[in-house]
Amino acid sequence: MSPRPGFVLDVDSSTPPTLFWRGERLSLERLPEGSRVVYPPEPLDPLEDPSSAIRHALLHPVGDREPLPALLSAGMRLTIAFDDISLPLPPMERPDVRQLVIEQVLDLAASAGVDDVELVCALALHRRMTEAELRHALGDRIYDAFAPNGLLTQHDAEDPSNLVHLGLTDRGEDVELNRRAAESDLLVYVNINLVAMDGGHKSVATGLASYRSLRHHHNPVTMRHSRSFMDQDRSELHSANWRMGRLIADAGVRVFQIETTLNTDTFPGAFHFLQKREWEWKAKDRLAYAAASAALDRTPARVARRIFHSVRAPHRMTSVQAGEVEAVHALTTEHVWRQQGVAVEGQTDILTMGLPYISPYNVNSVLNPILVACLGLGYFFNLYRGKPLVREGGVLIMTHPTPWEFHPVHHPSYIDFFEQVLSETTDPVEVADRFEEDFATDPWYIHLYRTGHAYHGVHPFYMWYWCAHALEHLGAVILVGGDTKAVHRLGFRAASTLTDALEMATDVVGPSPTLTHLHAPPLLLADVT
Amino acid sequence: MSEPSDTSRRLRPSRAVRSDAALGRPAGGRRARGARGPSAWAARAGRARFPLGAPTWPGGVPRPTPEPELGVHYDTAWSRRYPVRLARAVVLDNVTRPLARLVAAPELRGGEHLRDLDGPVIFAANHASHVDTPLLLACLPLPFRHRIVVAAAADYFFDRRWKADTFTFLLGAIPMERAKVNRRSAELAADLLDDGWNLMIFPEGGRSPDGWAQAFRGGAAYLAARTDRPVVPVHLDGTRHILPKGRSTVRRSRTTVTFGTPLRPGPDEDARRFGVRIESAVAALAHEAATDWWTARRLAAAGSTPALRGPEASAWRRAWALPEASRRDADQHATAAGGPPGPEWPPRRRA
Amino acid sequence: MKALVVERNLPRFAAARVASLLGSGRGAGVGPLRLVDAGPPDLPGGDWHHLRPLLSGICGSDLATLDGRTSRYFEDLVSFPFVPGHEVVGVLEDGGVDHAGVPLAPGTRAVIEPVLGCAPRGLVPVCTHCGTGHTGLCGNVAFGALGPGLQTGYCADTGGGWSTAGLCAHASQLHAVPDALADEDAVMVEPTACAVHAALSAGVRPGDLVAVVGAGTLGLTTVAALSHLVRPAVPCTVAVGAKHPRQRSLAAELGADEVVPPEQLARAVRRRSGSLVVSGRLTEGADVVVDCVGTAASLADSLAMVRPRGRVVLVGMPGRVAVDLAPLWHRELTLVGAYAYGLETVPPGDGTGGAGAARSFELALDLVGRAGLGRLVSATYPLERYEEALAHAGAAGRRGAVKVAFDLRNPKGHAR
Repeated sequence: MSPRPGFVLDVDSSTPPTLFWRGERLSLERLPEGSRVVYPPEPLDPLEDPSSAIRHALLHPVGDREPLPALLSAGMRLTIAFDDISLPLPPMERPDVRQLVIEQVLDLAASAGVDDVELVCALALHRRMTEAELRHALGDRIYDAFAPNGLLTQHDAEDPSNLVHLGLTDRGEDVELNRRAAESDLLVYVNINLVAMDGGHKSVATGLASYRSLRHHHNPVTMRHSRSFMDQDRSELHSANWRMGRLIADAGVRVFQIETTLNTDTFPGAFHFLQKREWEWKAKDRLAYAAASAALDRTPARVARRIFHSVRAPHRMTSVQAGEVEAVHALTTEHVWRQQGVAVEGQTDILTMGLPYISPYNVNSVLNPILVACLGLGYFFNLYRGKPLVREGGVLIMTHPTPWEFHPVHHPSYIDFFEQVLSETTDPVEVADRFEEDFATDPWYIHLYRTGHAYHGVHPFYMWYWCAHALEHLGAVILVGGDTKAVHRLGFRAASTLTDALEMATDVVGPSPTLTHLHAPPLLLADVT
Repeated sequence: MSEPSDTSRRLRPSRAVRSDAALGRPAGGRRARGARGPSAWAARAGRARFPLGAPTWPGGVPRPTPEPELGVHYDTAWSRRYPVRLARAVVLDNVTRPLARLVAAPELRGGEHLRDLDGPVIFAANHASHVDTPLLLACLPLPFRHRIVVAAAADYFFDRRWKADTFTFLLGAIPMERAKVNRRSAELAADLLDDGWNLMIFPEGGRSPDGWAQAFRGGAAYLAARTDRPVVPVHLDGTRHILPKGRSTVRRSRTTVTFGTPLRPGPDEDARRFGVRIESAVAALAHEAATDWWTARRLAAAGSTPALRGPEASAWRRAWALPEASRRDADQHATAAGGPPGPEWPPRRRA
Repeated sequence: MKALVVERNLPRFAAARVASLLGSGRGAGVGPLRLVDAGPPDLPGGDWHHLRPLLSGICGSDLATLDGRTSRYFEDLVSFPFVPGHEVVGVLEDGGVDHAGVPLAPGTRAVIEPVLGCAPRGLVPVCTHCGTGHTGLCGNVAFGALGPGLQTGYCADTGGGWSTAGLCAHASQLHAVPDALADEDAVMVEPTACAVHAALSAGVRPGDLVAVVGAGTLGLTTVAALSHLVRPAVPCTVAVGAKHPRQRSLAAELGADEVVPPEQLARAVRRRSGSLVVSGRLTEGADVVVDCVGTAASLADSLAMVRPRGRVVLVGMPGRVAVDLAPLWHRELTLVGAYAYGLETVPPGDGTGGAGAARSFELALDLVGRAGLGRLVSATYPLERYEEALAHAGAAGRRGAVKVAFDLRNPKGHAR
């Protein structure tokens, strides 16, 4: 049976309860009759032979690029940059796509006799990856060949000697890039395009840039004008990146972009029921749900988190294309939409969503309250093209325990942002004006970012800007089952049950509202007309 | 001459008494309270004066220069006395061998070459790990196993008294200078060979930093020529995965130990040329371990055995070109899952 | 007429020490404190006047004494039996003369500056400290015409505030209370004077970051003094670590720039000073830390969040504490105590009329009115319910209270 597309279910009296994620917990909620549930398409069939597909892509690039072997020669300087820990989600089973691609690139480089090769993790202002995480992403063979010789580095956006300013775009935006990448004869970028936002010029222009460069598009104004940032054509975030990408190309940086897309086969074995439609749950699935939810309810949050973060997704590659950035990305975006697109008619008064345990910024970490907000209002809210799923002034209801808890190593600046900034204001513009500079230049955060495994000091601000469009659009945000204090600090309203939340929502949107539930993950992109 | 220090020592307690008195406290009070518990006893014992404590050297009497007794000057004769040999044999057979089998699971090849050997020989092997010596000792057949000395780096294994004692006892190590030619260590090895002792030596002079062998030095060839004893080339495969240079934890892995045909220096062959012959013999054995005996022989005969030292290229290409077998199995490693941040990055380099 | 009296009774002190393990102030029942019938004490001399207390506060040092956990340092600076209570507003029923020699009419309300220095003790000539107005530093508190006692409320001969019978106050101790001040404001004058002294001896310089550790009575009055006396003249930022929600809202009302729970104070200081962190210590930090708690933990925290060559002002009364002084040595810190009050050097432009010298008490009398510190008096009790009162005072922060006082105006009293 070939994979079925996504669709919109109308809830009637015989519809079984709907699965809601609540962080590391799960629940089944009965939605009011007449509600709609947006289901994602089923995982596409993967490429049968990923290795030869990669080889084919390297030898037959798209756009204005020669085949990779023709670009490689002895004595050249080659840099291979790759996406960091934030992709894919959850981390995929070994072998990771990055390993498969980079091994083939290196085989070509070795046979061409290229001696000067470096690998750079394009983590922008994210935390540095640990050795185990790098080994997982790249495989031991690559790690052992490069890391001991200091040839596997992680981009350091705070090392002035390692950055080069390439110029200003026509809008006066600084473009500052990793020096090694900018000064190489060839920069090969290996990407994983999990959602439509990833990839394209954003790979290099964001992943290898510095704060000086990023602040031009990571700000409340840009985010409010990105509707949504999953839709490149209507995203100011992307326009800025494209301007920068073209400037990078004009500055003589030769980029060979390799983009890959994955199917949405997200949960392995026992967790497989999480990506099935409730009315198709077999006895095995129902048993798995009952056991999992009962066990998780009784498991301490820390242990439950460990269990979930050890989940490796059985994602498989659905496409790989290489060559010139824009030509490659056009193909990639098509593949992403083929996997994730769902047509939805009309907006809704109330949008509900169950937030899972993971976001791009808490792999092997804690989904702290700011990341909860970002996952709901930043990512899930923006999974649309055309119009938002919820009407302007509508209500967003999310389920997540939202504990007042932070990973002290990964998110040090988040703690201060939550305790000291959000206690004063939650308005993204005010937050940016009053506090961003201080956090971005705080030497302690810079130290932790450069030497530890901490997100940059300014990163929590970006998370908050990510929410800016939603905050402006929505009439109210209600978090179900969250820590009341933490929810209030975010400026949201807390409800103990979904029923209470729906009741509270009628205060904002009036009686008998329409309701739509976003049934993700697995991920979907709503094409709202 | 020792007057000043003595005076000050005599003065110190009396000063303390005076200051105590000034505060209006009984002079002994504080000290009595302080002198409780084992640490106080230790402190008191440490402060004990001559003759209970050790004497101090008078300043006016010149100190004799101590005889050097570490490094190449370390005397290993005690380790070849009968009771020590017996003890070493017991430890070797009952501890080292079972441990080596457990950790390294060695597969032996070419043992028949040792069967007809008579008298002391020199075993020359490639060197990738600290595991090499105990593993090779464990694999040697009986007449050799209990009458062998191991040439060990004088600057590494003999730089501390306890290290020198330990390795001399456990492995029968003798100090060998590796940075330069040292008459003392060469003569000791030659004398022992003449005495009927076998010698194990790693001509690379140290463990491989990257998995490829280093250039063989001339020591083994020189000793063979000087004592007219045969050299048995040995190849150890896989020990790098157990404990490579720079790591401190042991992982289990399979190994292959291949003995080659004993080599004797030709009549007009000098030590340098003989050394090259030893290296290519070990390279052929390496090739044999990776493929099969016949393939290895044919290529050796054609003179195209792959070099033991790997390609001349940048570090990453050398690492990339390591034989397929040396790539560790992908799913051997646990990945970091929710736990504390993984190990240090970048890995700390060790000497 | 009743008075609460502390007697020298070692078993009862020991019992109080044990009982106080359950919570400060819980030892009142078994401790050395007894409610007795008593008349007004005899006037020790000519310059002395009877003062009938109206409100009398319970101070942290009173609780420490009654819990039997005061430092033995003070052993010889009290005389038994004494009536506690040194935060007193009372009425001069027979009139009197104030510290400046101004006659006061009968019925005038007054607060006492409780230090028993050279003047009350009839010592002539007075010591250098008393001579320069720094009575708090007087070393003669165990000598002279009176029994030992560093303050009224620790001396057998003067009586104390926890009494309806009244106490004896020396003219040099008396400060008239303006009619505009409520009794509640006036009873806060004594602790506020301590805070004024602390705030003005903190050596705050323009642009400084001042961290206040603890937000009990001393912490909050220190915040008030910093924001009303110091900041108008010397622009500075005041950050407070306050444990209880009520303390946090009061600290914000009294003018703190940043109010956080105590465990977040070091983080707030770190961020404001842009400091790095090494093994839990800040490499830079606050210019001045005012420790209003006085425990080993608070002192260690203070030493960890002050910048090199910074100043730690110890306002809370410490006892025997074990603190690692390596940072003091390594970072060349100044650790200063701030006890009681005396003569202050006032920074210019503080709103009281320009720079100059003024007595802490006069500044405090002005400040309590301006900052409305009477709101810190959270509950009052009649003497008879002293056990309840002390338990309440011992758990003040947790129970949302700041200052607990005895109300001696009305025999019934009331709890707010």
